[in-house]
Amino acid sequence: MIGTPKKRLGIAMLFLLPNLIGFLMFTLGPVLFSIGMSFTDWALTKHNPYSDESIRFVGIQNYERLLVGDESHLFWDYFWNTVILMIGIPIGIAGSLGLAIMLHAKAGPAKPSGRLKGALIAVVVGAIACGAVWLVMSPHAAEAGVKSTEIGLADMDQQKVDALRASFAVLITAVLTGVVAIGLAVGQVFFRTIFYLPTLLAGVAMFLLWKALYRPQGGMINAVLQPFLDRLEGIVFATPMMLWYVLGIAIVILGLAYFGLSMARGVRNLSSGDAGPAMFGARVILTILLVVTLVGSGFVATQLPLIGLFPTEKPAPYSQSRAQSVLEELPDQFPALGDRAHVDSALIAYLAPRLDEQALRTLLEDASQLHDGTVPEETREAWMSLGSGVMSEIIVLFDKAVSDEERAEALDRLKIDPLVRPALQELDGASLREAAARRVLVWVDVEPLAAALQTLVPEADAKELNARLLDNAIYRRGLSAGDGLNAPAWLIDAAWAKTALIVMGVWLGVGGGNMLLYLAGLSNIAPELYEAAAIDGASGWQRFIHVTWPQLAPTTFFIVIMSTIGGLQGGFEQALVMTEGKADTIVLTYYLYNLAFTDEFQLGLASAVAWIMFAIIFAMTAFNFRYGSRMTND
Amino acid sequence: MTKPASIQPVAGAPFTPGRKPKKAAPDTSPIEASSKLSRTLVFVGLVLLGMTFVVPFVWQVLIALTENPSEVDTLTRTGMPPAIEPGNFAKVFQRVDFAKYFFNSLFIASWATILQVITCSMAAYAFSRIQWPGRDKVFLLYLGTLMVPGVVLMVPNFAIVLGLGMFNDYTGLIIPAAFSAYGTFLLRQFMLTIPSSLDEAASIDGAGHWRIFSQIILPLARPGLIVLAIFAFLFNYNSFFWPLILTKDDNLRTLPLGLLQFDSTYGPETNLIMAASLMAMLPPIILFIVLQKYLVKGIQLGAVKG
Repeated sequence: MIGTPKKRLGIAMLFLLPNLIGFLMFTLGPVLFSIGMSFTDWALTKHNPYSDESIRFVGIQNYERLLVGDESHLFWDYFWNTVILMIGIPIGIAGSLGLAIMLHAKAGPAKPSGRLKGALIAVVVGAIACGAVWLVMSPHAAEAGVKSTEIGLADMDQQKVDALRASFAVLITAVLTGVVAIGLAVGQVFFRTIFYLPTLLAGVAMFLLWKALYRPQGGMINAVLQPFLDRLEGIVFATPMMLWYVLGIAIVILGLAYFGLSMARGVRNLSSGDAGPAMFGARVILTILLVVTLVGSGFVATQLPLIGLFPTEKPAPYSQSRAQSVLEELPDQFPALGDRAHVDSALIAYLAPRLDEQALRTLLEDASQLHDGTVPEETREAWMSLGSGVMSEIIVLFDKAVSDEERAEALDRLKIDPLVRPALQELDGASLREAAARRVLVWVDVEPLAAALQTLVPEADAKELNARLLDNAIYRRGLSAGDGLNAPAWLIDAAWAKTALIVMGVWLGVGGGNMLLYLAGLSNIAPELYEAAAIDGASGWQRFIHVTWPQLAPTTFFIVIMSTIGGLQGGFEQALVMTEGKADTIVLTYYLYNLAFTDEFQLGLASAVAWIMFAIIFAMTAFNFRYGSRMTND
Repeated sequence: MTKPASIQPVAGAPFTPGRKPKKAAPDTSPIEASSKLSRTLVFVGLVLLGMTFVVPFVWQVLIALTENPSEVDTLTRTGMPPAIEPGNFAKVFQRVDFAKYFFNSLFIASWATILQVITCSMAAYAFSRIQWPGRDKVFLLYLGTLMVPGVVLMVPNFAIVLGLGMFNDYTGLIIPAAFSAYGTFLLRQFMLTIPSSLDEAASIDGAGHWRIFSQIILPLARPGLIVLAIFAFLFNYNSFFWPLILTKDDNLRTLPLGLLQFDSTYGPETNLIMAASLMAMLPPIILFIVLQKYLVKGIQLGAVKG
C-alpha cells in the first residue's frame, strides 16, 4: 500500500467524495430528516414562504392518527389492500421455480446440427400448416355481399369477417411456428428471453397494455374467456342442478380431508425425524395450494346452479318510437334543465339508444330535479360523476372535430341515436368540455349512485330503480345485461380489480429476476445428490422434495425476503395508471402519495406512513430470518 | 466476458426422431429428461408458456395498426383489424409532443446512468482498493441504508429537491439519481474479485492511484460497469414516481408521464395508446437484445431491484 494512513485517507476521500456528498444529501440525510419530519405537522399548504406559520413538533400525534385516530380507517383499509395484493407473491415464486426447472431440464435437440435441422423442419411444417389453415378457413365466394349476422359485426360482409378470421388463424400459426423454430434453433436462451421480457418492460407502457387487455369490451382477455363461459353455461344448464351441488360439496370435503391427512403425515414425519422442518414447510405450502384450488373449484361448482335458478330479468328492448315520444316531451316537461341542458342532452343522447322508455324517463326526472337544487349534495355528486364519465368519452371525440363532417363522424363512432343527433351536431367540443371540465371520472360505482337516487323516488319503485341502474351500469361496464355467466369487468369491478392486478403481477414477474436466481441455484446443485437419490430409487417427485427443494432453500429464502419487501411498497403505479385508485386498489404507497403530493401536501403525516411501513417491513424481514433460517439449516 | 456456466444450454441427446444418440451425456438435471418423450414434453410446455408471453404483444401490435378506435371491438371478435393503418405511430407524434417525451426520458436516463457509473466506480475503488482509517465503518453506513425501503426517501427527497431549487427542472431528476449506495456496493463486490497483484505490480512500476483506477481496474471491471449501467438506465427510463412529483411542465414530461397523460386524454382511442406504448417499449428491448448476457449475469450476481 502506498503512503501513510493519513495520505491514503486523503486519496480515498478524493475518490469517494463525489459519491459521498450525494449519499449524504440524498440517502443518509433524508433518512434522518424523514424521522424528524414524521414528528411534525409540516404541510406545504400551511408552511410556505407566503405564510407566517411555523412548523410545530407534534410528538407521536401523526402515528396516533394513522394507527388509531381519524386516519386509521383509511390506513388499515389500504394496508389490507396491500396485503391482499401480495397474494401474488407466493404464486409468482412457485411459478418462477416451475419455469426455472423447465428451463433447466433438457428440452429439444442439444447438438447444433440437430437444432438447426429441427428448426428447418419446424419452418417447413409451419409454412404448410399456414397454407392449410388458410385453405380450410378462407371465405366462401357465395357469401359475397351477405351481411354478417353476428352481434357486433352486423355492418360487415360475412366474406370479410371470414377473411379476417382466416388471416388471424394464419398469423397465430405463423407466430407459433416462429416460437417453435427459434426455440429449437436457439434453445433455452430464447425462452428465457421471452419469459424475461415482461419484467424488462414493466412500466407505464406495460400497464397501459394490460389496461387494454382487461377492457370488458374489446379487450383480449374477455374475448378469449367469454366463449368458454358460454360453453360452461351450456353444460350447466344441460345437466341436473343437483349434480353440481353434490359434485361441489364432494370436492370441498375431499380437499379438506386431504389437508387433514397430509398435515397429520407431515407432523408424524417431523416428530419421528424422517423429515426436517424444510420438508414440513414444503408440504404445508404445497398442500395449501392444492386445497385452495380444490375447495375453490368446489365452491364455484356449488354456485353454478344459482345462475339457472335466478335468471335476471332483461330490460324491455329500446324502441325508437317510444324514445322519440320521451324526447319530444323534453323541453316542455323539464324547463329546469336550463342552461345546462346541452350537457344533459349529450348524456341523454348517449344513453337513449341503450335504455328502455321507463329507465330513460327516470333519468330525465332525476336530471331535472337536480337542477331545481332540491336534491342533496351527494345525489348531485353521483349524478355528475355518471354524467361526466359518459361525457369524457364524448368530449374526447368531439374535441378534435372541427368541421361538420368530423363531428358527424364522431357521432357515428359513438353510435349516437339519430333522433338527438341534430341537437348535438350544433355543439362544439369547447362548450362541452367547459361544462364537464370539473369532473372527469371514467368510471362510477353503481351502488352509491343507486342509493342516492333511491331518495328521489317513492319507496315502492326504489328496488326497480336500483335494478335498472345496475343494468345501465352493466351496460356501461361493457357487459350485456341479462342472465348467464358473464366474464368479469376486471379493473372496473371492485370484486375483481385485485384479482386482475394479481394476475398481471404474476405474469409480469414470473419470468424475471426470481426465475434467473432459481436457474443459477439449480445449476449449483451437485449432480451427485441426484445420482444418490436415483440409486435409492427415488421418483421424480421425491427427488424434487428431498433434493431440489432443500438445496434451493437459501435461494428461496432470499427471494421471499426481497419479494415481501418489494410487495409491501409496490402497487402504486398499477393503481394510478390502471384504476386511478378506484375499485379498492389503493395501496400504502398510493396513500403516502395522496397525503404528501396532492391536496394538502402533508409531508409530516406522509413521513409517518413511510416509517410505519418501514416498521412492518422490518418486522416481516426479522420474522423471515427467524423462521427462514431454520428452514435453510435443515 | 464469457457466458456464465450456469446458464449454458444443457448438453444432451439429439432431438431428431428416428435417430439414436451417439453417446449418452451425463444426466445432471433434476428431471429425468434423457427420454425422448420427456424432452419433447418439456419443449412443448416451454412453447405453450412462451406463447402466453408473446400473444399479448402480438395483440398490442394488431391494435396499434387498427385504423379506427371503434374497430378495436371488431378486432377482438375476428382477431384482425379490418384495415391496417401504419399511420397511427405518426398520429401519436402529431397529437402530443411525443418526441419531446422520448428525448426527456433518454436524456435523463443517460445522464443519470453516466454520472452514477462514474461516482459509484470511484467510490467502489476507494472501498475496495485503498486502505484508509474508518473505511469499514463508512461502508457499513452505505450497507445500512440499503435496508431502508424506498418509500422512506420519497418525502424528504421531495423536500430537499424543493429546497435546492431543482423542482421542475432536469437537474432535479438527474442529480439525485447520480448517486447510488447500491451501485457502489455492486461495483465494490465486483472489484474485490480482481486480483490485487495486478495493481501492486503497477504501483511498483510507479503508477499512482488514478492510473491504476483508470487503466487497470476500470477495464477489468467492465462487465460490472455494464451491469450497473443497464440497471441504472432501465430504472431511470421506467421511473415514474420521481418525474411525477418533481415536474409540472409539459415540456419536462418523461415517457411514462407522457403516456399517462396521453391515456387520460385519448383513452377511448385504444389504437393510439397501443401505438404509443409500443414505441415506449422499444429502447429497453433493443438494450436487452444487445446486452443480454451482461444483464443475466448481473441478475445472478444478486443485482435484483428490491
